[in-house]
Amino acid sequence: MKERKTTMKRYTLLICMLLLLGSSFAQQEYDAWFTQANEAYSAGNYDTAVILYEKVVAADVESVSLYYNLGNAYFKKQEVPMSIYYYEKALKLDPSNEDVKHNLAFANQFIKDKSDPLPQSFIVRGWRNVRSMFSPDQWAWCSVVVFALLLAALFLFLRSRRIGLRKLGFFLGIAFLVVFVFSIIFAVQQKQSAMTQDQAIIMSPEVTVVSSPDKNSVALFLLHEGTKVTVLESSEGWRKIKIANGSVGWLPESSMRAF
Amino acid sequence: MKRLFILFLMLCPLWLSAQDDPKLTVSAKQQVVVGERFQVKFTANAEGKNFTAPSFTNFTVVGGPFTSTSSSVQMINGTVTSSTSVSYSYTLQAYQEGTFHIGSASLIVNGSKITSEPFDIKVLPDNGASAGASGGYTNGNAGQGQQSNNTNDPQVSGQDLFIRAIPSKKTVYLGEQLVLTYKIYTKVPVSSISIEKTPSYAGFWTKDITDNNGGVLRQSTEYINGEEYTSAEIQKIIIVPQRTGHFTIDPMTLECVAQIRSSSGRQQVFDPFGFFDDPFFNSNITNVKKELKSSSFGIEVNALPESGKPASFAGAVGNYDFKTDIDKTELSSDEAFTYTLTVTGTGNIELLQMPEPVFPTGFEVYDPKITTSINTSASGMSGTKKAEYLVIPRRAGKFDISAVEFSYFDPSAAAYRTITSDSYEIQVEQGSNSGGDGAYSSGQNDIQYLDKDIRHIMGGDPKLTSKNSFFFGTVPYIVALLVLLALFFILLLVLKKHEQLSKDTVANRNRKADKVAHGRLKRAYQHLKAKDQDRFYEEMSQALWGYIADKLGIERSKLSMDTVSEAMQSKNVPDELTQQFVDTLNSCEFARFAPGDAEEKMDDLYRRGIEVISKAEKVL
Repeated sequence: MKERKTTMKRYTLLICMLLLLGSSFAQQEYDAWFTQANEAYSAGNYDTAVILYEKVVAADVESVSLYYNLGNAYFKKQEVPMSIYYYEKALKLDPSNEDVKHNLAFANQFIKDKSDPLPQSFIVRGWRNVRSMFSPDQWAWCSVVVFALLLAALFLFLRSRRIGLRKLGFFLGIAFLVVFVFSIIFAVQQKQSAMTQDQAIIMSPEVTVVSSPDKNSVALFLLHEGTKVTVLESSEGWRKIKIANGSVGWLPESSMRAF
Repeated sequence: MKRLFILFLMLCPLWLSAQDDPKLTVSAKQQVVVGERFQVKFTANAEGKNFTAPSFTNFTVVGGPFTSTSSSVQMINGTVTSSTSVSYSYTLQAYQEGTFHIGSASLIVNGSKITSEPFDIKVLPDNGASAGASGGYTNGNAGQGQQSNNTNDPQVSGQDLFIRAIPSKKTVYLGEQLVLTYKIYTKVPVSSISIEKTPSYAGFWTKDITDNNGGVLRQSTEYINGEEYTSAEIQKIIIVPQRTGHFTIDPMTLECVAQIRSSSGRQQVFDPFGFFDDPFFNSNITNVKKELKSSSFGIEVNALPESGKPASFAGAVGNYDFKTDIDKTELSSDEAFTYTLTVTGTGNIELLQMPEPVFPTGFEVYDPKITTSINTSASGMSGTKKAEYLVIPRRAGKFDISAVEFSYFDPSAAAYRTITSDSYEIQVEQGSNSGGDGAYSSGQNDIQYLDKDIRHIMGGDPKLTSKNSFFFGTVPYIVALLVLLALFFILLLVLKKHEQLSKDTVANRNRKADKVAHGRLKRAYQHLKAKDQDRFYEEMSQALWGYIADKLGIERSKLSMDTVSEAMQSKNVPDELTQQFVDTLNSCEFARFAPGDAEEKMDDLYRRGIEVISKAEKVL
C-alpha cells in the first residue's frame, strides 16, 4: 500500500514536470514568433509581421510590447482602427508607457471623429492620473512593498527605546497604511477594468448610433472607424455606448471591438 | 428691273453679232488612269443660259463648273466679225477602272436648246500599261510654247515616279525612337515638289530632322529591281511612341511636276546646225502634275516589360551613359557648389526625365538648369542632357551626397539597365556670413522637425504572460502579504523571547543573587547548629561563590579567585571590600578541605560571610 502511494507520487511529479516543460516550450515558440515578427517589421514586411504577431495573440498570451508592436504593424499597413485598438490594449496593461501613449496620440490624428472629452473635475483627473501611473500588477507589487514598509514602521514604533524613533515609526506607519490602502484600491479598480471589456474601438467605416437597441429606432449621430467608446450596457447583439463628449446611444456589437 | 435692263443692254450686241449656228462642243481625254485628275470642258460659241451638265457618275468632281467667257471682235476690210465663246469646265478624277459613258450637256441659246455629243472615257488601271498612252487632254497649265497640242500627251507612270515611306523599325518598345524616311524615286526629271498632306502621327512624339540642305534636295542614285532611279529624301522624321498598341501611319501625299520630253516635235528633226538645240527653241517638254502617295503601314508598339523594372526607371529608352560631377568638395557654408548630372546616349533623350539627387537637409538647392544638346543622324537622336544644381550648404560639417541611380531600358537587349553614380563627401567649413546654425554662433534655433511618425517597435524579451493573469488577489499575492505579516510577528516574538532569556540570565541573576545567598546562608546556619561541618562549609562556599558570580555576571565555569578580584576591581568595588571578600572565600575553602573542629571558626566564618555579602550588596 505504502509502495503504491510513493509510485503514484512519483508519477504526479513527473507529469507536473512535463507540464512545466511543455509550457516553457510553448513560451519559447511564442518568443520566436515575436522575434520573427519584429524582424519582418524592421524589413518593412508589415503583412508578415501582422500575421506573426496575431499568431502570438491567438495563443492567449499578452504583453505590452506584443500589443504595441502589433499596433505599429497595423498602422504601417494603414489600418488605423486596428492599430488604435492594440495601442489601447497595450495601454491597459501599462498605462504609463510613453511609447504607447505617443503612438496612440499619433494614430488618433488619422481618425475622422473628433470629440472633445467632457471636462473632468480635478479630483477625478488626479485620481485617474495617479491610478494610471502603474499597471494592476505594479500596483499589487506596490501594495506588497508598502505593506512591508508599514510593518517595518510598526516595528520601529513598538520596539524602539528612543522616543524620536518611535514617533517617526508612528507617522511613517500611518503614511504607509494610507498608501497601502490606496494601492489596493487602485489595483482592484485596474484589475476590474482590465477584466471587463468596458471600452471599444469602432471598426466599421461609418456607423449610426441609435436611441435604443433596435434597428428602426431614431438615429442619433454618426461615428467613424477608430473612435473609442465606453461600453455601458449590453443587450443581445447591441451595446450601449458613451463617447468622450458624453453622448450616449446604442450600436450593434459587430461594429466595434471591445477591449 | 434696272438690273435686268442692264443685262439686256449688255447682251444686245451679242445677239446682233451672233451669226454662226450655236454649237456646244466637248473636249476631254479619252483615256485616263485611275486616280488621275483631268478636265472636261464644254464650250459654246454663243452666250446661253441654263447650262445643264451631264451626270459624272463613276467619277469624282474635284472642281467646277468653272465658267469662262471670251469674246473677240475682228475687223477685216471693213467687215466686222465677232465671236464669243463660253466654256464650262469640270475637273474630274477617275477612281474606278473601266469605260464610262458621259451623257450630253445642254444649254439654251436664243430660246433653243443645244446639246453636246455624248462620249466615252476609258479609265485604265494605274500601272505601267498606261505609260505612254495619250489622250485628248490639253493641259491648260502647260500651254505656253507647247507645240504638241492635242496629240500624244505624255504620261508619267507609277513606276517612273513614286514615293516610299521607310521606317527604321516596325516593332518598337514604348519610348523607343524610330526614324521614318520619305524618299522619292524617279526616272524622269521633277521640277517642283510640294507636300500636300502629312500623316498625323497620333500617339507619337515627332521631331522633323529633314536635312534641308538649303532648299536643294540631295540626290543619289539607287537601283531597284535592276533599274536606275534618282532618289532624294523628302522628309526624315523621328517618331517616338507614347502609347502602346498597333498604329497605322497614314500615307503622305505629295504633288510634283514631272517634266517629260514629248516624243513629237522638233527634237526628232535633224538639225545639222544645232541652232535649234537651244532650250529656248527646243521647248518640247511637257510638265505633268502628278500626285504621289506613299503606302500606309503599321507600327506595333510594345509595352515595356514589368518584370525587373527598377524603381528609378523614369521612361528612358535607348542606350545611355550616366554620370554625376561636383565642382568642389571643400567649401565654406555660404559658398555654392554645382552638382551636375549628365546623361549621354542614343534614344528618347529629349523626353527622358532626369533623376533627382537628394541633398542633405538644410542645404539650399536651386531649381536645376537643364540643358539638352541633341544630334540627329540617320540612326536617330543622340546627345547629352545635363541638369545642373546650384547648392549652398548653409551648414558646416561633413556631408554625404548620396549616389544617384539612373535606369533605362535597352531595347536591343530588351532589358533594364541601372547606372549608379558616384557619391561624394563634402567638407563644409563655417562661413563668415552664415547665421545661427554653426557650433560657434551664439543664436540657437528651434529643432527643425521634418516629419512625424510612430515610434519604432519594442524589441527584446516580450515578457509574454497568459491573458488576464493578474498578480493582485491571487494566492501568491495573499501569501506574500501573509508571509510578511508572519515574519513581523515572528520577529516580535523572537525578540520578546530573547529579552526574557537575557533577563533570566543576567538581570534576574543579579536581582536574585542576594535572595539566593541568604537562602544558602540560612541552610548553612542550620548545618552550623547541627554541627555538620562538611555540609556547612559546602553551603557557605556555594553561597559566596554563587552570590559573587550572579552579582558580577561571571559564568560558573570561569570562577576563580583571580577572576573574582578582577571583576570586582573593574566594578569599582573598594579594595578593602575585595580583599575582605577574597579572604573570606579563602578561609572558607581552606576550612572545607582542612576541617578542624573549632566551633568558633564556623561561627566566625558565618558572621564574616553575612558581613561581606551585605557589604557587597550595598556596593554592587
